[in-house]
Amino acid sequence: MAIDIALLELGVMMIVLASMGRLAFALGLPTVPFYLVAGLFFGDGGFVPIEEASSFVDIGSSLGVIFLLFMLGLEYTPVELRQSLASDPASHVVDLVANASPGVIAGFVLGWGPLGATMLGGITYISSSGVVAKLLVDLGRLGNRETPGILSTLVIEDLVMAIFLPVVAVLLAGESALSGVVSGLIALAIISSVIALPARAGHRASLLVDAESREVLLISLLGIALLVAGIAEHFHVSYAIGAFLVGILLSGQVAERARHLLEPLRDSFSALFFVSFGLAVDPVTLIGVLPVAGLLALVGAASKFGSGYWTARRRGSTSRGARRAGVTLIPRGEFSIVLAGIAIAGNVDADVGPITVAYVLLLAVGGSMAARFVP
Amino acid sequence: MRSYQPKQGAGTDIAIAGTIMGQGPKRVGRNTCVEIFETPLPGMGVRYEFTTEHGRRIGVLVHRDARRDLLVYSADDLDTCSEALRLTTTESASLVELLGGTKITERLTDLRHEVEGLSIEWVSIKRGSPLADCSIGDGKIRTLTGASVVAILRDGDSYPGPGPDFMLRVGDLALVIGSIDGVARARTIIAG
Repeated sequence: MAIDIALLELGVMMIVLASMGRLAFALGLPTVPFYLVAGLFFGDGGFVPIEEASSFVDIGSSLGVIFLLFMLGLEYTPVELRQSLASDPASHVVDLVANASPGVIAGFVLGWGPLGATMLGGITYISSSGVVAKLLVDLGRLGNRETPGILSTLVIEDLVMAIFLPVVAVLLAGESALSGVVSGLIALAIISSVIALPARAGHRASLLVDAESREVLLISLLGIALLVAGIAEHFHVSYAIGAFLVGILLSGQVAERARHLLEPLRDSFSALFFVSFGLAVDPVTLIGVLPVAGLLALVGAASKFGSGYWTARRRGSTSRGARRAGVTLIPRGEFSIVLAGIAIAGNVDADVGPITVAYVLLLAVGGSMAARFVP
Repeated sequence: MRSYQPKQGAGTDIAIAGTIMGQGPKRVGRNTCVEIFETPLPGMGVRYEFTTEHGRRIGVLVHRDARRDLLVYSADDLDTCSEALRLTTTESASLVELLGGTKITERLTDLRHEVEGLSIEWVSIKRGSPLADCSIGDGKIRTLTGASVVAILRDGDSYPGPGPDFMLRVGDLALVIGSIDGVARARTIIAG
């Protein structure tokens, strides 16, 4: 590896990313779709090749997924998970069925087989916790009546993924159905023990990681997250989920400090992840999948609006509040891309990458813009 | 005339949606008791709201890092928050003080009147403050300035009379008392 060329490539890439990020902020839009577009400019079919730095970009993007999911796990306290699970289970089932079935049906129509169809179902189902939460903050809607319902929908969707992903990841790796069930059960056991354990037990476990020095704490956190991610990946359970489960396990003061410490790492490496996903996609292939992705995005926007509206109405919002809830939940983002990455690694279909990029671009940008216009 | 009744008002007796917070269940008059609704917001924090006597709704969003947003709801739609003002920990402490809030502030004001030249100040520990993640004793505040840290506010809990080994964290509010000069120097030691 020629280090000078590698550094030049990375430097140019980061500056392009920064400009895209600035543009996103100026337009009041989420950064994820802009990083994806930046990725399209580089690599396959793009203007600038990334060759010398490609091994760093590969590892860096894996780290991006690990930090993204680790932080997502840290976001939720066991109490919040418990409250979200207890609140209106019917609405979560409706959310799952309404938003996963378009993807599943499309997967079968495209001939991707049951596993590929399930993956596409996951991609169309999950709203972007990052984009939606940021929208709620930016638009000053945290005070609104519909907001707790929106947030608990996000929590449950992420939890569903934590159980769904280990199962499909193991199956995609060509393991038997039995090992798929086993890895799903392990994830379920970890999550339910975190939820069921009294808060004090969780705190005590977290204190094992704690260190007075920020530096030592940061390195301990990195070590644990990477170690568990590596173990999970070794058993084909996807390193993303390994990191997510570690994040959920940590709680209390340690989790609070970890959030502050890891935020800059997550921001820089997740940008690398989104750009590298764009790198692997040739922009020309986007044109071919546009009809499919466009249709999926239309249906995905409508189904999310419907389930979000219905949930908010059931929780006592006015129809205006329910409309806001429906529109705010439309953006898809990081988790859909993570799922697509796993599907690509499992050789589902060459089109899964471009379809997901187009789907996320349309819904992350379209959904965020729509959320601003709904009063 | 209600306005002449001393030390009566919101903030002294707070009932939270069924449960009473503070010194146990206490029967209070209709005018002095505010029914506050508490809503957890997963991944964000906790929201508290109540409706005023004049039919307006206001609330406070307590973020997990103890930062607070002041929420003001639309006059014609109580479900819609029309203003969400982001406040730093120092700003919310100042706002409470201006609103004639906590008993502790009232007493401190009395104290300030009694002792000439006494300075009392809330100092917030921010990210990058020299004493963040250090103990109070590490700052040698009393030795160097003569001022004392007499209480810490953290996540809505108060810790009166913290010892020298009390660990300060980002987001804490330290109540410092001393001479005007001493408190100013203590502020530099704590907040940088």
